[in-house]
Amino acid sequence: MAFGIKRGVRFQILSESDFDRIHWGTLHILEKVGVQVDSVACRKLLKDNGCEVDESKRIAKIPSHLVEEALSKKKTSITLAARDPKYDAKLDLDHSYMTANGNGAVAVDFETGERRPSTKKDVADSSRIIDYLQNVHIHWPMVSSTDKHPSVVHLHDLDASMSNTQKHIMYETGVTLSDAKHLTEIGYIAAGGEKEFRHRPIHSCLQCTYAPLQHDAGVMDASLYFAEHGVPLVFFGMPQPGATGPVTLVGSLVVGNAEVLSALVMTQLHAPGSAVIYGMGNAPLDMRTTIRAGGSPEHAISSAIATELAHYYGMPSCVGVSATAKVPGDQAVLEYYTGCVGPLLAGADLMCGVGLLEDSSCLFYEQIVIDNEIVGSIARLIRGEWADDDTMALDIIEKVGVGKNFLAQKHTMQHLRAGEHFMPDLIDRRSFDAWSASGSKSLVDKAREKTRWILENHRVPPLDADTQKRVDAVIEKAKKPMWGGETKRD
Amino acid sequence: MADGKEAILSELENSVKNLQEEAAMEAARKALSAGVSPIDAIEKGLAKGIRQVGEKFERKEMFVVELIYAAEIMSNAIKILEPELRKSKEKRNVLAHVVLGTVAGDIHDIGKNLVRIMLEASGFEVRDIGKDAPIDGFISAAKEMGAEIVGASSLMTTTVSVQKEVVDALRSGGIEAPLMVGGAAVTEAWAKEIGAVYSSDAGSAVSVAKSLVGKGG
Ligand code: B12
Repeated sequence: MAFGIKRGVRFQILSESDFDRIHWGTLHILEKVGVQVDSVACRKLLKDNGCEVDESKRIAKIPSHLVEEALSKKKTSITLAARDPKYDAKLDLDHSYMTANGNGAVAVDFETGERRPSTKKDVADSSRIIDYLQNVHIHWPMVSSTDKHPSVVHLHDLDASMSNTQKHIMYETGVTLSDAKHLTEIGYIAAGGEKEFRHRPIHSCLQCTYAPLQHDAGVMDASLYFAEHGVPLVFFGMPQPGATGPVTLVGSLVVGNAEVLSALVMTQLHAPGSAVIYGMGNAPLDMRTTIRAGGSPEHAISSAIATELAHYYGMPSCVGVSATAKVPGDQAVLEYYTGCVGPLLAGADLMCGVGLLEDSSCLFYEQIVIDNEIVGSIARLIRGEWADDDTMALDIIEKVGVGKNFLAQKHTMQHLRAGEHFMPDLIDRRSFDAWSASGSKSLVDKAREKTRWILENHRVPPLDADTQKRVDAVIEKAKKPMWGGETKRD
Repeated sequence: MADGKEAILSELENSVKNLQEEAAMEAARKALSAGVSPIDAIEKGLAKGIRQVGEKFERKEMFVVELIYAAEIMSNAIKILEPELRKSKEKRNVLAHVVLGTVAGDIHDIGKNLVRIMLEASGFEVRDIGKDAPIDGFISAAKEMGAEIVGASSLMTTTVSVQKEVVDALRSGGIEAPLMVGGAAVTEAWAKEIGAVYSSDAGSAVSVAKSLVGKGG
């Protein structure tokens, strides 16, 4: 079976003239208002290429021809390669891939239920769960190794991920130039060399732009490095409608679009042809609690229209979902389902990500398994239907005739085996009696059982000893005092 | 005159409470020409209004945008009172002086801004030193304003450790003001470990700040 979710359905929300308007409006903003670029290197790059740059305000105004050029230079066929090539994610605008959510700082201990700072072991165990599940295609280090020295937490995150999943790994922690160098170095080691990595990038980096209309210095310096060194990038705009972007979803899309396109311009000027994925996560700030509403219909629809806009530019999209729920169960399911189904119906290429609660900050192992089920159901929803001889089944209808049934038909069996009907794993469709006789288990109970089974049984081939040794050496070398002080972690 | 003054004070209060910018400006001008003390205009007028908005926000009856808007109205009205305020010998009666910033290496500032707005709405004077704020910035601002409380926000696992460096620098700089910490990567346990005080949201930040300066909580 091919990897990823093959799409056959695509809802269309915006029209062609909407795209033109949004594109024009974005160019207008970039030329007239500009973006704040905190990186000295990026400002120089823009200035050298004809942008009007105000050094005191750090604002660069970007003429539209630079945007059009960047759009024509970018890499168009991106494959996020995996340690095991059967997990290669081809971003062909025809498949959707689900990712893990990333970088929480808290985990709920699977055994004790204690809510505590996350550790490297949590990164490792959750990576194994992601490796096992079939509806999650791309891995993110889900939490941070907060038991490690702060200067190398994220290198440990990558290390624990690499040795516990064979799927592609995307991180979002290349926030300074030195982070970028170390992360890239580890990628080269894991791929077997620079050439091998460039050919088959097994890691990629997601970078956030800074709404409204700003680019952080560290993030952009790191991005130029990644672009130059063959690490695929996602630029992820995150204006929060009503807070860091206009309250209207399209207005926030324009703000985010200006950020993503200006980041694209910088990378393509610096490293023409580098791989950039179009990311956008415009979840509103809940105006009563001030928590980001990652599982809201507004986020879902924002991600859907951002996906349409990405496709208008010929770029794969990367959009998000998260939940504000505090525990696995009904609220989390409702938020994850809402947040996933909208963008996936609109053809999201990368949908990130599963398994964290409390606005992407707290890991529950069993939530990963529940979300995997949600994605399975949506995969069926977006597969698409078509009428051909086989699906119309006229010969079978004729053969069975009036008043009988199709249960014993070969056609029925063949299609069921091929996945015509979604076969849930956690949803319990049995009778009340059967359900209560086997312990009246809830969806969460069943997810916990499955999680336990995965943790006990699923093993991932480790990195070979030499690779591991070299990765460890990079981490050791990268360790440094933080902002002048030392903390006591190892 | 006394009557007029009361009426003006309640106009100030109500215009903030009901989010009426024009009315607030108008009332501030009236206060000036009627000779109402600018301190009274703020404390018995505008601040009473914003406090009610803050309380309604806490009870989820008003949106955060409305709170921010009310805060904006209040600060614009204060600008009108400013010339008188500078002449006046009375001092604004603030609950405490607070220095607030997001630590070095971290650019997340939405939460920190909300904490500032809520503290201000509750009667604290806040010096906001922004995001990605160097450790020295906390120290010098605290010295300058004579802060009774320092607040440091941090949302990333890689920047929480900077909060400890802020405490250390405060203490070695001879500043005894307690440090309040918050943000996604911060936990109660971490706060304890570094000798700081934690709060999980802007509302509890206010009660914690009040209790720190012995003004109820
Ligand atoms: C919005 C957001 C952004 C925006 C920030 C916009 C802005 N102006 O602040 C943008 C897009 C710019 C951004 C960038 C990045 N982000 Co970000 N971001 C978030 C997100 C989704 C929400 C934060 C937020 O605004 N919440 C709403 C506010 C109101 O809540 P709050 O900040 O928690 O504040 C409340 C309380 O905590 C408390 N509080 C806060 N501060 C203080 C201070 C004191 C003194 C007190 C008493 C209380 C208090 O009161 C506040 C009000 O109630 C979080 C996820 C999360 N759960 O936090 C990730 C998150 C913090 N980001 C993350 C990351 C990784 C990044 C980037 C590195 C990504 C990248 N590669 O570019 C960059 C950061 C670069 C840098 N050098 O800092 C990670 C951190 C991971 C980790 N373990 O360290 C998080 C946790 C998401 C995740 N799980 O991956 N991000």
